[in-house]
Amino acid sequence: MVGTIPNINLAYLVPAFPLMGFLITGLAGKRLKHNQGGIIASAMIFFSFIISVVLFYLLRSSGQDSATITLFNWIAVGNMNIPFAFLIDHLSLTMMLVVTGVGSLIHVYSIGYMHDDERVNSFFAQMNLFTFSMLLLVMGANYLVLFIGWEGVGLCSYLLIGFWFKNPAFNYAARKAFIMNRIGDLGFILGIILLFFTFKSVSFSEIFAQASLMHAGGPIITLITLLLLVGAVGKSAQIPLYTWLPDAMAGPTPVSALIHAATMVTAGIYMIARSSILYNLAPITLNVITAIGLTTAIVAAIIGLRQNDIKKVLAYSTVSQLGYMFLALGLGAYSSAVFHLTTHAFFKALLFLGAGSIIHAMGGEQDIRKMGGLRKKMPITYFTFLAATLAISGIPPFSGFFSKDMILSKAFEHNVILYFLALGGALLTCFYMFRLFYLVFFGEQRLAGAHPHESPKVMTIPLIILGVLSVFGGFLNIPSLFGGNLSFSNFLQSAVSSKVSEEISSTTEIELIILSLVLLILVIGIAYRTYVRKANLPARDGEPMSIWSRIVVNKFYIDKTYMILVEKPYSSFSNFLFNKVETKVLNPIVDGIGEATSRIGILTRKLQRGNMSFYFFAMVAGILLFIVFILTI
Amino acid sequence: MILLIILFLPILTGLFLLPFRSASVVRPMALAASVINLLITLSLVLSPSAAYAVEWISFLGINFSLGFDGISMIMILLTNLLFPFILLAGFNREQRNVHILNFLILFTQSALLGVFLAQNAFLFYVFWELSLIPVYFILLIWGGDGRKTITFKFFIYTLTGSLLLLFGIIYLYQLTPVPHTTDFAAFNKLNIPATTQIWLFWILFIAFAIKMPVFPFHTWQPPTYNMASTQGVMILAGVMTKMGIYGALRFLFPVIPQGVLYWQNTVIVLSLIGVIYASLIAFRKTNLKMLIAFSSMAHISLMVAAMFVLNTYALQGLLIQTISHGVTIAALFYIASLIKEKTGTIELPQLGGLKLQAPKMALLLLIVVLGSIALPLTAGFIGEFLMITGLFQQSIWFAAIGGLTMILGAIYMLYAYQRAMLGVQKSVFNKITDIRALDYLILIPLIVVIIGLGIYPQPIFNLFDQSIHATQNLIKPVAEAVSALAH
Amino acid sequence: MKDISSAIQLIPLEHYILLSVALFSIGLMGVLFRRNTIIILMCIELMFNSVNLLVTAFAAYHSDPSGQVFVFFIMIVAAAEVAVGLSILVMMKRNVDSVDINLLNRLKW
Repeated sequence: MVGTIPNINLAYLVPAFPLMGFLITGLAGKRLKHNQGGIIASAMIFFSFIISVVLFYLLRSSGQDSATITLFNWIAVGNMNIPFAFLIDHLSLTMMLVVTGVGSLIHVYSIGYMHDDERVNSFFAQMNLFTFSMLLLVMGANYLVLFIGWEGVGLCSYLLIGFWFKNPAFNYAARKAFIMNRIGDLGFILGIILLFFTFKSVSFSEIFAQASLMHAGGPIITLITLLLLVGAVGKSAQIPLYTWLPDAMAGPTPVSALIHAATMVTAGIYMIARSSILYNLAPITLNVITAIGLTTAIVAAIIGLRQNDIKKVLAYSTVSQLGYMFLALGLGAYSSAVFHLTTHAFFKALLFLGAGSIIHAMGGEQDIRKMGGLRKKMPITYFTFLAATLAISGIPPFSGFFSKDMILSKAFEHNVILYFLALGGALLTCFYMFRLFYLVFFGEQRLAGAHPHESPKVMTIPLIILGVLSVFGGFLNIPSLFGGNLSFSNFLQSAVSSKVSEEISSTTEIELIILSLVLLILVIGIAYRTYVRKANLPARDGEPMSIWSRIVVNKFYIDKTYMILVEKPYSSFSNFLFNKVETKVLNPIVDGIGEATSRIGILTRKLQRGNMSFYFFAMVAGILLFIVFILTI
Repeated sequence: MILLIILFLPILTGLFLLPFRSASVVRPMALAASVINLLITLSLVLSPSAAYAVEWISFLGINFSLGFDGISMIMILLTNLLFPFILLAGFNREQRNVHILNFLILFTQSALLGVFLAQNAFLFYVFWELSLIPVYFILLIWGGDGRKTITFKFFIYTLTGSLLLLFGIIYLYQLTPVPHTTDFAAFNKLNIPATTQIWLFWILFIAFAIKMPVFPFHTWQPPTYNMASTQGVMILAGVMTKMGIYGALRFLFPVIPQGVLYWQNTVIVLSLIGVIYASLIAFRKTNLKMLIAFSSMAHISLMVAAMFVLNTYALQGLLIQTISHGVTIAALFYIASLIKEKTGTIELPQLGGLKLQAPKMALLLLIVVLGSIALPLTAGFIGEFLMITGLFQQSIWFAAIGGLTMILGAIYMLYAYQRAMLGVQKSVFNKITDIRALDYLILIPLIVVIIGLGIYPQPIFNLFDQSIHATQNLIKPVAEAVSALAH
Repeated sequence: MKDISSAIQLIPLEHYILLSVALFSIGLMGVLFRRNTIIILMCIELMFNSVNLLVTAFAAYHSDPSGQVFVFFIMIVAAAEVAVGLSILVMMKRNVDSVDINLLNRLKW
């Protein structure tokens, strides 16, 4: 299977460029002129993208499925031998193209967006470090190299969420993201260790070769997959570890686009797709994934209905879309999940960048209740945002339609209830996206004193490119129903072993598509009626609300529950340990021993009265006692 | 012979420098001596074979024998690596009686090297106690508030442990065949009845447990670290804690393997309690140095737990973590003292926003903090990953609880970092300066070690691969016998 | 020498023992109950000498001269001790103008 492919060592360059960019922009610091840092950083990512494209053609022309390139032996201890190696196959190439492609667009956009920030070089250094880590994550040939990237992106996410470090709330959000990720990472690393003890290796090729010979449903494989799943749940912001992602919107908007929409949060999906052979062996875990994915998709969509911060809406939408990807993974449709990941990267990055453009134009305002009427002022943003909104809502022929439809039809094959729940989530998605869209672009401008204007070219060109991708990205994977041949899924076939299930007949499929289309248009109509025709504004803060809305506005009180159940007990328990155990028990015991010694001293020194006669007496008495003692023995 | 040079070069330099009172003479000379010592040590790593032995108190069978294996080498390397930076930390700073201080530091270095080089239990003990004397004075004279009480407690506490150790050594001594001897080689050949080993374990272990320190023998540590001077705390936390680990590896495993196996799970559980306990307390500590002290305790506890699972992964992880922890904690304490120097406080609630004025300091602190919370590509990650792997082999629960350091460490370390460096700048800190060239000279090499070993740890693994097998082989027959008995 | 030993042995050993016990007890009582330091010192001498007597007696009875050698040592040490003791006494007399042992009660704690 693995042979040498000429020039495949070019793959080193893919992570090397962002690393170089990180070092240059990071070390040069203030010596770079204002725009230079951004230009260097963007160029580095773009070079990586070009190399990735070259690699794509190299692999394709070689006729091989994958290539492993080893840099050096990283850890070799006892039976453990972990090389620092990269795996280039169709899955990692897909991810590399997404990361570097979308990444370079976002970098270019950032040049405009971060233009006025004084720490712009540091921003680009961190973005490049992030891209480097993300590339390690997707290129690693074993779980431990993947883990380097996994933690590395977590670090960069922490740094970038807290980029504006003067705000304590942002710092809190950054810390929360890092720690919630770390909770997942603990599960992940335990999973890796269990993998190592089970298969005596952590490298993908060796594990999968052995695993393909195993029987499904073994307890160890279930445990492994569950532990890995914990990592994925943390990184991909699924219930119960999703609350960090909405808070992560504290970071600059390009960060939200790159890290918290297009790339990092999809790492969990990538990892599970990568481990598809293992997951196929663990039906219990797959059911757990389905349950988590579906619940997250719907809960996050419901919360998204009542959010008023433009970025928060998009954040919950991301959580919800990631839930869909999980649903696909749980159904064994790994390539559908990766496909949705790809299209989602296009349209969600576009939505965030569009939101960034809007925020930029509104002078930092993020509340959609205060926007409105931006259609005329910002035409490019308007059209690209529209494309993305249609794509995420799943309107044909936009990209989201193809990817979401694949997941929905998989759900239908599996279970009709599952299908209707997933469809319900999709309708909610459509509603909150059009609510956002109408509130922002239609009606009258509601913020006094703002002078919205279209963003500079450096920001709009990436928007246009992403808009094109959002519109046409779906054509990568046209199902046979529309005369396509599922080229994307087939491309992934060698790296990802999707479960084969019975195909539903094309008539049923057409019926389903028509059903969902009708419902979607209905929902868009309702949204239009509510927010454009009637111009109903969402309730202002503090206005009385029904119980149901109050629950939704407060995000089902999940953050508060965590606060009460985890954070408060944690700090009071640590207070207890220090104030009670350490100060009242352990220290007194040790000090008590010293204290007892000096107490005995205080007692016995009373005997030393200074009276010579008494000393003589005591001496004689002692000698006599000693003699008596000797004699009695 | 080369070992004699390594052993005595520091203290002789210190003695030679005593008559000079000028800091500009004493400091560079002391630094030069420790750097030369480091270079000699490095040359020893490349050709690792040297030993030295003369009869010392021959009628008691006590020899002055020096030697090393991979495990001692790692400790010697760490000691000699850190001491130049410890000495460097004194440069450009106001210090009373520089010549005496430098003498005491070099004295400590020699004593510590003696501990790690000694091949004879009595000699080991002599150096073990000897190291306490200069450190006592460094803490007492150059320490901060409350130094008298705290140093006294520290001294008595560790001395108590040492007395138990002395008792253990004498007990082992009279068990050796006539003519009695205290050579480690003879101790290792002893065949002690299992019942004896079970109680002897605690006699020997408590000394090491206090030094490391292991829960619940740790109460001397946080106040001592807090009050110690920069150099004092770098010595204490960076190197002296490792004496306990080294002692345990040298004394417990080869000599009383059955005792170790008997108490294995007890010690692991105690250590894991220590991990959680220290991490939780660190979260509530507002004093940065106290917080680092508790974090050190959490890391050391994990190392002890790993030591007692006795498999290759854990031991290799332990030894790489030894270096990583020594370097990281020294850097952390150094930055903590920098903060104290610049702002006059290390109380986190009073700090904040230092990054605005001192972005470079913030960056370096961040890197060290990341090393401390075991981010991949730092040496700490390799160490913790291998240790958790080792714990996993014993039990998945041990691994899960040990792995909690990943989360808890991130919680308290990042919280501390943010409270000190980020947030709104306090107006009193408007004038503080960023770090100077000297600070770079100390921190950058330490960071290079942290990251370098994280990327390419293999040289260290190779260094002590053999000695780990030796340690394990001593345990293995016993472990097999015990498991045979159990079935 | 032989004659002396045999002469000594005419008196039974018990007599020597009883005599030295008596002397020792007198000395002891003196040390314990007298307050005058000079008398205490003299009583200590008395105790010394009772022991000396006992040692010589045993030496004679066992025909072992080493006991008598020890007596010389003891006498020399006692002499030295008296010298020190008396000089302390003189200092005491000069300082507190008394030789009452109970005035020397600073030696405590």
